[in-house]
Amino acid sequence: MNRWKRLAPVTAVVASAAMVLAGCGGSGDDEAADNSKLTVWMMGEGSDAQTKFLDGVETEFRQKHPDTDVVVQYIPWLEAPKKFQAALAGGEGPDVTELGNTETQGWAAQEALADVSGRMSGWAESKDILPDLVKNAQLDGKQYGVPWYAGVRAIYYRTDWFAEAGVQPPKNWEELVAAAKAVQAKKPGTYGIALPGNSELPFYSFLWGAGGEIATNQGGSWKSGYTTPEAQKAVKFWTDMVTVHKIAPPAAAGWNEIDARTQFATGKAAMAFGGSWQAGAIKKDNPEIEKVWGTFPIPGPDGRPAPAFAGGSDIALWQDSKKQDLAWDYLTVLLNKKNAQSFAGSLGFFPVYSDLVASGDYANDKLMAAFATTMQNTKVTPLTPKWVEVSRTKTVTQAMNSSVMKGQKTVEQATTDAAAEMESILNAK
Amino acid sequence: MTTLTEDTGTAAARETPARRRPRVDRLPYLLLLPCLVVVGVLLLWPLGQVVAMSFYKLDSVRQLRGDREWPWVGLANYTQILADPFFRTVLRNTVLFAAANVALTMILGTLVGLLLNRLGRKMATFVASCVMLAWATPALTGTIVWKWIFDDTSGLVTWLFNKLPDGLSQALFGQSDWTGYGWFNSPLLFFAILTLVVVWHSFPFIAVSVLAGLKSVPSELHEAARVDGAGPWKVFWKITFPLLRPVFGILVVLSTIWDFKVFTQQFVLAGGTQDRPTFMLSIYSYAEAFSPPPKYGVGSAIAVILTLILLVVTGLYVRMVLRQEDE
Repeated sequence: MNRWKRLAPVTAVVASAAMVLAGCGGSGDDEAADNSKLTVWMMGEGSDAQTKFLDGVETEFRQKHPDTDVVVQYIPWLEAPKKFQAALAGGEGPDVTELGNTETQGWAAQEALADVSGRMSGWAESKDILPDLVKNAQLDGKQYGVPWYAGVRAIYYRTDWFAEAGVQPPKNWEELVAAAKAVQAKKPGTYGIALPGNSELPFYSFLWGAGGEIATNQGGSWKSGYTTPEAQKAVKFWTDMVTVHKIAPPAAAGWNEIDARTQFATGKAAMAFGGSWQAGAIKKDNPEIEKVWGTFPIPGPDGRPAPAFAGGSDIALWQDSKKQDLAWDYLTVLLNKKNAQSFAGSLGFFPVYSDLVASGDYANDKLMAAFATTMQNTKVTPLTPKWVEVSRTKTVTQAMNSSVMKGQKTVEQATTDAAAEMESILNAK
Repeated sequence: MTTLTEDTGTAAARETPARRRPRVDRLPYLLLLPCLVVVGVLLLWPLGQVVAMSFYKLDSVRQLRGDREWPWVGLANYTQILADPFFRTVLRNTVLFAAANVALTMILGTLVGLLLNRLGRKMATFVASCVMLAWATPALTGTIVWKWIFDDTSGLVTWLFNKLPDGLSQALFGQSDWTGYGWFNSPLLFFAILTLVVVWHSFPFIAVSVLAGLKSVPSELHEAARVDGAGPWKVFWKITFPLLRPVFGILVVLSTIWDFKVFTQQFVLAGGTQDRPTFMLSIYSYAEAFSPPPKYGVGSAIAVILTLILLVVTGLYVRMVLRQEDE
């Protein structure tokens, strides 16, 4: 013990010296502001398929810029916010970066991303990008990111269990509950539906399906829609699945989407919410499930599929980058229709071009058909940089639903409290 | 002159230590210097920065970088926090949790320490190694394992409760099927589990420290007390506790500091910073500062408040201990 104590300061000095030296070594990039190198940050672990795809993009890009070396770095999704913050604080960032499309406005507000409004309007292919996705990457009317790929959530279900219980994929809320109960009765010890009570995005499909809104901008001030009868109906249905119908367990109040999806993958639940891109993760947990799964769109109360949040990725230029012209050239190669389609397909996502989504051959795919249907009917969360505080930091919607599921508040109380909190955050100066 | 010659012997005897003293005095400081530099650079400087940041409105990374100016807001961050009713919840959680955990850790640790002192060598080694394993487990891994134990579907605790006879379980808890039970749903249950995890992690240190203290107590004292007819309870309070008071004093101060700033265990059990009703000061500070949109100023102010509370609590306690010793 004593020896370690004595060594500790030495180690610390050596370590900090090493960090200082490393820091000095890294700052030589300014001189290299010539166009010999373009740094690209991609999210995730980087599969072989993705690396191969990006090599192809680089080859295409170098036809125009033969002297530029494209350096791709993969950043794990959960690391990304810290990495962005550090890059912004230290001034050493990428030239081009991918980022989750729920985060674009927040980083734009932090002045991390470059305004590409002008460049975007001069790029013909951008006219076909789905308008909701384009709007989702805007802040104060300026464009800070370009949509790359998109996806929606639907419901995964066990075709074998549904057949045993003699039920069809539900088309409305009543049928959803009935199907869940039928399977639960047939398969004791399983949950009818793995409800992610602590997630917001699947819930929004129920909110929008019932005709409710999260919040609307009324003449510069935000008004939450949670106190409307439509929203309360959605909250009631969402929480009733746990408290009244008991087709999901009490623990569901604390589940996020991954917790819930794992219940489905491990054969503990008959249904779960998930995006098309999550098929791979489910299969990884249980390779056998491929034979017995299907998907259907999240139903609305009345028989029509409910709208869904359009999740996905944007590509942005880093504001501190000194090579923005070069970076934009790379972006337009990466995002051209041909590359966009091949990449989105390999990931289980959809391309963001409306003509490609409409013409794609998804109808006969037992998984993708439901997602393709839902892609026609997407919505976005409130377009303000303050939304991320409601969504991630204060988790207003999640807390509202959880408190009802846990029996701490009534639907009226919970929605009133959530609406007040949401308005105070969105309208804060 | 004469006196000096006469007294050379005694003067030299007096002078030698006096002449040596400067050398002896400087050396420890020289040896301490690297340590002090490290403490200064890695601890005091960031601490000063946090205090400084708490007086500014900082909500952009570009401000930290120096690209934007720092608007001075004086005590506005503090008044905003103190006026927020949520702060009272957080403070209540923190204080109650710390008090319960310090008490439980001290009691359990002391009991295990006393046990170790009474056991034979082989058994003591065995028990001590088991206890040390809990201490040696990193907080992160240990907590993840506890989270699995309390998993709502496949966890050990869920399984055990399902094994209870249905009638008994129904009579005790009003339910017999525990699959899918939300162990972390209610704040009270969450804090109970968090207490279990934190006490499990921290009692070994107390036990070992108490054992070390006990080894220094002459066994004749205990024997004499027992001969005089004192039971174990009396022996502890009349002999062991007064003799080990400084040890207990230090242990309580350390436990207080640790339990006030529990972060890892809570972050893992709660699955991040989503479960706001169970927030305590350290996680509150982190969530305010680093969750988007960042509020570094407010987060710093909360951290300063936590530090001040700790200084006051430990300061009062140290004074109390010192005073008791003077008596």
